[in-house]
Amino acid sequence: MSIQDKVKINKLSTGVPGLDEIVGGGLPEFSFNIIAGAPGSGKTTLAHQFVFANATPERPALYFTVLGESAIKMLRYQQQYSFFDAAKLPDSIRFINLSQVVLEKDLGAVLVEITREVEKANPAVVVVDSFRTMVRKPQSDMDLQSFIQRLALFLASWQATTFLIGEYAEDELRDNPIFTVADGLFWLRQTAERNSIVRKLQVIKLRGQDSVPGLHTFRITDAGVQAFSRTFGLTARKRNPPSNRRLCFGIPELDKMLDGGVREGDSVLIAGSSGTGKSVLATQFIAEGIQHGEPGIVAVFEERPEAYAERATSLGLDLETPQKDGKLTILYLRPLDLSVDETMQSILDAVQKIGAKRLVIDSLAGFEMALSPGFRADFRESLYRMIFALTGIGVTILSTVEVDESFTEFPFSTYSISFLTDDIIRLRYVSIEGQLRKIMVVIKMRGGNHAKDIREYEITDKGVVILGKRLINYQGLISGIPVYRDRSEP
Amino acid sequence: MTTPPETRDLAHRLLAYEAGEGKTSELVESATLRVYDKLRQSLSAFAGMAAFESLALRALMQAKSEAPGLWAVQVAEDGSLQGLGEFESQIGIDEDLAGEGGLVLIARLLGLLRIFLGEALTFSLLRSAWPREVFDDRNLAHGRKA
Repeated sequence: MSIQDKVKINKLSTGVPGLDEIVGGGLPEFSFNIIAGAPGSGKTTLAHQFVFANATPERPALYFTVLGESAIKMLRYQQQYSFFDAAKLPDSIRFINLSQVVLEKDLGAVLVEITREVEKANPAVVVVDSFRTMVRKPQSDMDLQSFIQRLALFLASWQATTFLIGEYAEDELRDNPIFTVADGLFWLRQTAERNSIVRKLQVIKLRGQDSVPGLHTFRITDAGVQAFSRTFGLTARKRNPPSNRRLCFGIPELDKMLDGGVREGDSVLIAGSSGTGKSVLATQFIAEGIQHGEPGIVAVFEERPEAYAERATSLGLDLETPQKDGKLTILYLRPLDLSVDETMQSILDAVQKIGAKRLVIDSLAGFEMALSPGFRADFRESLYRMIFALTGIGVTILSTVEVDESFTEFPFSTYSISFLTDDIIRLRYVSIEGQLRKIMVVIKMRGGNHAKDIREYEITDKGVVILGKRLINYQGLISGIPVYRDRSEP
Repeated sequence: MTTPPETRDLAHRLLAYEAGEGKTSELVESATLRVYDKLRQSLSAFAGMAAFESLALRALMQAKSEAPGLWAVQVAEDGSLQGLGEFESQIGIDEDLAGEGGLVLIARLLGLLRIFLGEALTFSLLRSAWPREVFDDRNLAHGRKA
């Protein structure tokens, strides 16, 4: 069958930011869907968003309420969301209560009532909330299987996209006929992780669509449900081909050590203990990019953007002007209950808004602390997805990480994430001539011939300044307690 | 707690509209019942009869404290209003007083709708019940109609 012979399935916007990407570009028109989850998981809100996004006076939405949450209370609460447009009622969105029919009659009568209203209104969208309460009581003349099949068939024939909302437990997935009939099955979960609530959405099935598998974080705010795809909305975008362009720090000696700078689209890790100048290097990296017309994003977790910019000023770097000019965004990501996906969405939005080429994450430890406890366990995996997604679109990422200074080891990171990075620059303290000095070494550079030199540096009012030549007269520098061996020419 | 003047105005307007729609010989009670029934049909269609009945019972209780002559009026299980005729037929009660009882009851009901559904949805409901009447919710939200 040729492509033009195939039936075209229109995709409807879900009205939920991020969800269209997850369901493969939109919800299939005329599909019969279930939104399942525990009470309070956001099922009704999600359905409302779809309804408000798609209902028109010509093709309205019929929202059947059954037992369960009172329609009056539901509307009272739902209208607090910004997507709720009261002007759409009653022409585009009609609420119909079926409680009486459900209480007094059987499923056959329910089907008759739904059929009557659908034939009258010719709706584009039909929602039954809550379907679970409708089918909970013992049935008489029509079994559940038959009811669901006839309902699904009728609503599809009337070209309606349907949502049945229900409070289902996951162990019901196997035996319930409703899940067999449904074209789409959306499961919403919320779990308590220590003091944080983590909400996740899973598209268990969606016929005819290439949906993104796995659990996706979502949040409910004043704007309603917002979903965060595990692939960060980048599945449709091609990865940029590897670039040979080099991005400089603006520190001539360091750029030389890096064979001209870090490769565009690389992930760079700067590791060192407290006070070694990781943030200074990161700031210089961003400032240098801006000077060369490369917009940047700095994601900070441990201090406010104003403080970050102020610190840059003390190094002679102006981060205020580029912020005003739209060339730099300093993101302060609200701590304590973030998911990586939400953080990513904020960063991606900022990247897309200003066309950022350089991104600084300062620091990974701060990032981890900003996440809700449930996400910390997946930190490495999440970092992998984030770095892969961002570098794939050509953004060069520089992350800082604090490592415990040891005089017997030379660790790169406490997160065992060095495999996620293309380039690693290690900073550390050494004891030389009764002073605690600083050294720097490029540990790794994927696809580059970096210098192997261990160089001493200082942090001055001009930022990081590399001093002299490599330290050839000391052995065991990376131990932090080097031994002096004079190798200079006699 | 008294009914805001703009809600009373709205109730008065609905009653006047229904009185105008009816035959001149009909009693005020008929206008009250017609307004009440339209609200009942409109609200119970989307919120269910039980929800309407609950609100109607609450509105009637509030109205009785303001218009004691409504003592005999009751809300039936199907949400309909019963006993308004007795209020009417009481010896010595003139048309103005009867009208006042109906006005208080409808105003209380509208007041509850405003509390639970808000201005916009209340007017949406009224528009569907009185499609030929023009409602301007801004007047209700921001003060009395000029």
